[in-house]
Amino acid sequence: MKQLMAAGGMKRRVLIVDDEMINRELLGAMLAQSYDVAFAENGAQAMEALAEEEHGFSLILLDLMMPVMNGFEVIARCRADARLRNVPIIVMTSEKSAEVKSIRAGAVDFIAKPYDMPEVILARCERIIELSEDRSIIRSTERDKVSGLYTRGYFFAYLQRLLPRLTAPMDALVLNINRFHILNELLGHEEGDRILGTIGAQLKALTAPMRGIACRSESDTFFLLAERQEEYETLIAELQKRVGEQTGARDLRLRAGVYHCPNDGTNPENWFSRAKAACDRIRGQYSALTATFNNELHELTVFRERLSSDVQDAIDNRGFVVYFQPKYRIQGERPVLASAEALVRWIHPELGFISPGEFIPLFEKNGLIHKVDHFVWREAAAQINRWREQYGVTLPVSVNVSRVDIFDLALEKKLLDIVEAFSLAPGDLMLEITESAYADSAEQLNEVIASLRNRGFKIEMDDFGSGYSSLNMLTAIPIDVLKLDMQFVRTMLSDEKKRRLVELVMDIAAFLEVPVVAEGVEEEEQLRALKDMRCDLVQGYYVSPPVPAERFGELIEKELQEKGDWHDNH
Amino acid sequence: MITIEKLNSFGADTAEGLGRCYGNEALYLRLVNMIPAEGNFAVLEEALGAGDLDKVFEAAHALKGVLGNLSLTPMYQICSEITELLRARTETGCAALLAELLRQRDELSVMCSE
Repeated sequence: MKQLMAAGGMKRRVLIVDDEMINRELLGAMLAQSYDVAFAENGAQAMEALAEEEHGFSLILLDLMMPVMNGFEVIARCRADARLRNVPIIVMTSEKSAEVKSIRAGAVDFIAKPYDMPEVILARCERIIELSEDRSIIRSTERDKVSGLYTRGYFFAYLQRLLPRLTAPMDALVLNINRFHILNELLGHEEGDRILGTIGAQLKALTAPMRGIACRSESDTFFLLAERQEEYETLIAELQKRVGEQTGARDLRLRAGVYHCPNDGTNPENWFSRAKAACDRIRGQYSALTATFNNELHELTVFRERLSSDVQDAIDNRGFVVYFQPKYRIQGERPVLASAEALVRWIHPELGFISPGEFIPLFEKNGLIHKVDHFVWREAAAQINRWREQYGVTLPVSVNVSRVDIFDLALEKKLLDIVEAFSLAPGDLMLEITESAYADSAEQLNEVIASLRNRGFKIEMDDFGSGYSSLNMLTAIPIDVLKLDMQFVRTMLSDEKKRRLVELVMDIAAFLEVPVVAEGVEEEEQLRALKDMRCDLVQGYYVSPPVPAERFGELIEKELQEKGDWHDNH
Repeated sequence: MITIEKLNSFGADTAEGLGRCYGNEALYLRLVNMIPAEGNFAVLEEALGAGDLDKVFEAAHALKGVLGNLSLTPMYQICSEITELLRARTETGCAALLAELLRQRDELSVMCSE
């Protein structure tokens, strides 16, 4: 076992969670020779570290008594998370009673404090990791019946065991058949399976000299881990030729994406997703058989990973700044400030200003948007409170509620906690839900919205008209405000059809008795036209761009000066 | 500056402490050096004054772990005694033990700084 750990390959990652720095350092020094060690000071930090897709941890060493989130809660959360369920946890404690309790909760072992000698601790960690990996290998079905290769689950479980022993540089390859679904349709599934089986057998034979290990990941996608070769064109061409000869599918075309595995403890699943990205790049290009995950692709991925990993830092260190864009009521003699929309801006300490168009879609996709949203909710509520204290007016602020938030069971509580923390009424924080969210999760949404409205929150349907809204849905889901997508405003003066559509939206809103906010108003003419159409509120550069809170304060001041009774309307 | 000799005379089991550091003396002494500034002493003192026994227990327990890991035996033993007393929910004797603990902390602090 010792020599296994000493092999110079990729180290497994171990997470040490303890609030005492001395304990972390001591244990870290013990384990650093055999493992790649990461640290967390409390349960919350531990969950952050574990949530990063990038790294798979092989073991968690967990203190029980910690501030913010204690060890038992970490155990409970890990056991409830399918992705973390199988990561073994060793608790560190000097309490005999806690040992039993933690083992019952799902820890696999314990280390007593004061620690034993390093050799004992290391041996214990090794044994636990080994047991856990063996168990996960045993659990996985080994062979894929169609291709005769490993199954995906077994493949990755096996790699976990194998990696520390590898010394040569390795490459991850993803192989794919061009337009396999058509082949499947033309020849039938049985023939399709025969082709997949032949690929499996030939892939195995051809990659044996490069110590290849392969699996069929899904449908016609194969994963291969092999010792690094100069090029893979020859391999793919030969594989294609052999499969063609044996099955008669002579126009079968394969393509492969290659990723050079780094020796940095990153998760193998990640390597293959990068190889897949390279493979997708040459989809349908019949001249290219292989593509390597190159700098251009790499840079984009790295950039995105950088943004994703810096979210927490931006929240903790005010890299995110909330701007406020005013909304004006336009049906009176002159536009009157009515409310605001909170918009997040990111000033990164190293990368500078990052466009919301860059990070918002990315975080919506990977789920991190909930962190950003939560931050904005809090900031917006704090700001409403500050303005109230400063000017004596409560100005409602709209905040974004993303699709992932809708599925957060604690959403209502989180929002209530925030408004309560600043002694606001729920209606002071207006919740914008984008139209597309209505389309693909209507039932869930309906429930969440009904419940939030019961609590007194106001719901605004954002980007109305941009997507899939149907009239049906509008009557099914109760809302308080309609926000007209800015595309309409931009085109309504030049396009008669668009103009009529806007009028129609106004009619619908009047029927539902909800006000309409027109976004993206940039010219006086647009404002006038909207006013004629009985639009209630506008937002856009013509009235004001999004501004920092301080600057917004001046707008409130101006309003207070210009209209004495404005104060009473809020 | 703290040295192994000084720690031996202090009553620390330096052989054990060093063993936990793979015999890395620099690491061991660096960690010991962090003890005088350890925040839990103040927490312990404050919580005992306020009669918050749960907090006293938590702080003593945390200190016990750290002191034990560095094999600062005399201080470790005091913390163990405090946690034992509190497990039985008795406060009697805690103040005297704490005074002794702080005295030893100060002694260590002097050894570290002289």
